[in-house]
Amino acid sequence: MLGALCAVCVVLAISNPDFVGQSNVVNTLRQISMLGIFALGSAFVIMTGGIDLSVGSLVGLTGVIIAKVSSQASGGLGHSLPLGIAVALAVALLIGLGQGLLITRLKLQPFIVTLGGMLLIRGVSQTIVQGGTLSLGTSPLLRLSNGGLFSHNGDPLIPYPMLMFLAVIAVGTYLLHFTVFGRYVYAIGGNRDAAEYSGINVKKVETLTYVISAGLAGVAGVAYAAYIGQMSQQVGVAYELYAIAAVVLGGCSLRGGEGTVLGIVIGSAMMRVIDNGINMFQIPYEDSDGIPRLWRLNPNWTFVIVGAVILLAVVLDQVVHIVQAARRVRAAPTAPPPAPAERAS
Amino acid sequence: MTESAIERAANPEQASRPPLLAMRGISKRFPGVLALSGVSLELRPGEVLALMGENGAGKSTLMKVLGGVLVPDGGEIAIDGTPVVLAGVRAAKRHKIALIHQELMLAPNLDIASNIFLGNEQGRSLLWPINRGEMNRRAAALLERVGLALPPTTAVSTLTTGQQQMVEVAKALSVDCRIIVMDEPTSSLAAAESEELFSIVRKLRADGIGIIYISHRMEEVLALADRISVLRDGRNAGELSRDEASHDKIVALMVGRELSTAYFPPKTAAAAGEVVLDVRDLVVPGAPAGVSFDARRGEILGFAGLVGSGRTELMEAIFGVTPARSGSMTVEGRPFSPRRPRDAIRRGVYLAPEDRKRHGLVLPMSVAENTSLPSVGERTRFGLLDRSAERRIAEAEVARLRVKTPSIQQKVVTLSGGNQQKVVLGKWLAMSPKVLILDEPTRGIDVGAKAEIYRHMAELSAQGIAILMVSSDMEEVIGMSDRVIVLHERRLKGVLARAELTQQRLASLMTGQAAVGGETAA
Repeated sequence: MLGALCAVCVVLAISNPDFVGQSNVVNTLRQISMLGIFALGSAFVIMTGGIDLSVGSLVGLTGVIIAKVSSQASGGLGHSLPLGIAVALAVALLIGLGQGLLITRLKLQPFIVTLGGMLLIRGVSQTIVQGGTLSLGTSPLLRLSNGGLFSHNGDPLIPYPMLMFLAVIAVGTYLLHFTVFGRYVYAIGGNRDAAEYSGINVKKVETLTYVISAGLAGVAGVAYAAYIGQMSQQVGVAYELYAIAAVVLGGCSLRGGEGTVLGIVIGSAMMRVIDNGINMFQIPYEDSDGIPRLWRLNPNWTFVIVGAVILLAVVLDQVVHIVQAARRVRAAPTAPPPAPAERAS
Repeated sequence: MTESAIERAANPEQASRPPLLAMRGISKRFPGVLALSGVSLELRPGEVLALMGENGAGKSTLMKVLGGVLVPDGGEIAIDGTPVVLAGVRAAKRHKIALIHQELMLAPNLDIASNIFLGNEQGRSLLWPINRGEMNRRAAALLERVGLALPPTTAVSTLTTGQQQMVEVAKALSVDCRIIVMDEPTSSLAAAESEELFSIVRKLRADGIGIIYISHRMEEVLALADRISVLRDGRNAGELSRDEASHDKIVALMVGRELSTAYFPPKTAAAAGEVVLDVRDLVVPGAPAGVSFDARRGEILGFAGLVGSGRTELMEAIFGVTPARSGSMTVEGRPFSPRRPRDAIRRGVYLAPEDRKRHGLVLPMSVAENTSLPSVGERTRFGLLDRSAERRIAEAEVARLRVKTPSIQQKVVTLSGGNQQKVVLGKWLAMSPKVLILDEPTRGIDVGAKAEIYRHMAELSAQGIAILMVSSDMEEVIGMSDRVIVLHERRLKGVLARAELTQQRLASLMTGQAAVGGETAA
């Protein structure tokens, strides 16, 4: 997938030098970061073999709560910004905990619980904004997404969301690849019974993955709120599907037990680069009159291309699996040695 | 090996010490079945206790109680003379008890070291980092102890079943287990792998670990065990010491009664009909050689063999679940090579599977819906489900098989095992079978219902259906079959005609000893 990502970038850079221009690169990095943050959260759930459909609605709700609590503009309560962020993140974590407990304690299916959560949370956002928009006004939060480190030509080189993403990557890598918790996440996804029979507190670990997923959706929601500024009920619609797509492109199986943080970073980047690439892709050509023109992709094709890329990725993955399995069967000894003679004991 | 026993006997101090493990009067009731009724068992350190019994005798239930998976309804468990409560897997682990399941409990996506220490990572909290270097070092030492020369970072998915078994043993040793239970450990091992396992078991015994060894394989038990405890119908049937144990004594305890001829319906002397199913050199995936046999009209052809002898796999190849790799079959003289169950069903070859809840029935559906499931697609009215045909089929079969159900709309999940099996039979009888494959037709079915199933089988064969019956119940094989094919390690070991059928002959063929008398491969 890393190879494919590089190939796509090279093709895009050749077809349109603007792709590697400063403003496009910074913008794409910002988009990748914001997607990556909550995709990584979803990945925790997916690695245990679960699914979280509520992250998109949570991204929206977080921004809506921040705007409601802290906005000085009309409709806002005018409290301080840190309070708004704290309330929003606390709500996100509690929702994650609630969903996790419903799934593990009542043995409900993750798909149904988080589908219900997705609709319910979306409805709450809608009620808060009363069908319209809530502006963050001139809140200092806006600098978070549009500002960054190392200004060059008046624009930052490293947007703040990217710093947030790097921090999330660091913590995520530590959790998944170095701690006992991460080991249990993989074990549950690989063989839930074995985990249970090894004395692991499966319910606790699973609940925690939903808390992490919701928490990171909240963090991403803060970044999106800063980026968009005007919170409406539409923010974050269908983002859970982008997250799942990024996680799958990153090498996770929805059966659980597979995947790495690096893979998910690459998967998120792939999603956003394709998205951006469809807008940037162009082939210069001369028409019959000798006038240079540009051939561009019709942006209406975005979903067709994204969908095709995802399907292609899982098909290739499955083909590799089948080939490997067939090879293992062939490698297995076909003729057991002759029956043992009388054993001396 | 016997030195340790002699030493124990000569050492009165040790003999007077409380046993490592004592289970007394353990009872466990499941809905409709008393799985264990006052079972007692003792285990001393440095001893291999073999636990034997027929399927459903309660061995696995007893061991699940010991492993903390099931909580008993009554009885007490003492370790070193101190009563303990084993509520949950973690409690059992705390008391240094390890259960090695027949279905290995490993996470295939993790490496060996991670699996060995799974649930026991020495971390003070979930967020503590795992010390990989230390873990790999300790894993390597454990692997050496169980004789597995592989780096601890090898992925478990690449290991053979035998190697995975060793990882399970290493996992038990990693927490200093004093009691290790092995449930049918050799059922899926090749002979050489089994030998390795036995040498590990002897080594563990020398280290003073108490081992409970569950197995069906007589020769294995006789070679390994210091004592043999036999369960029958959820009760203690008896115990034999190493010196007094013999093949016949164990079988007598397991079966517990002379074969009663009245239990089985009298066989109407099967007029050897024409061949319905002819199988030539059929090579099942994973089998070392081809198998050939034929089944005639009105014949009940028994298939005997140990767990892992390849009986179910052979039946699945005939039914097209896993197509055979080579060889040929004919049904009524015409070539037959099923690639999927649909192909077999089209030719009148049906399978009532071993695991009827998983493969035989749609549990949340009604008796009527289950009975008509394979045939309803043929009987549509303008492409719509023909409910009246469905009802007719179901009512006819329920009446024919005397299924005890309040109505044909009853969900099969609420029926008893025997009645569920009748629904499986009914679903195929509605489609006039030519060949009916019954894999463990009476597993988990109580005695009364068993007799009824036997009666139905006899009736069906009298109607000219060829029945292939796979069974682990020797009594059943002898009582029902016209001929018996014995498989051993996925090879055809021998064919016995009805007149030649004795427990002795069957058992020696099943355990892989040389064919005694009778014809060999057909």
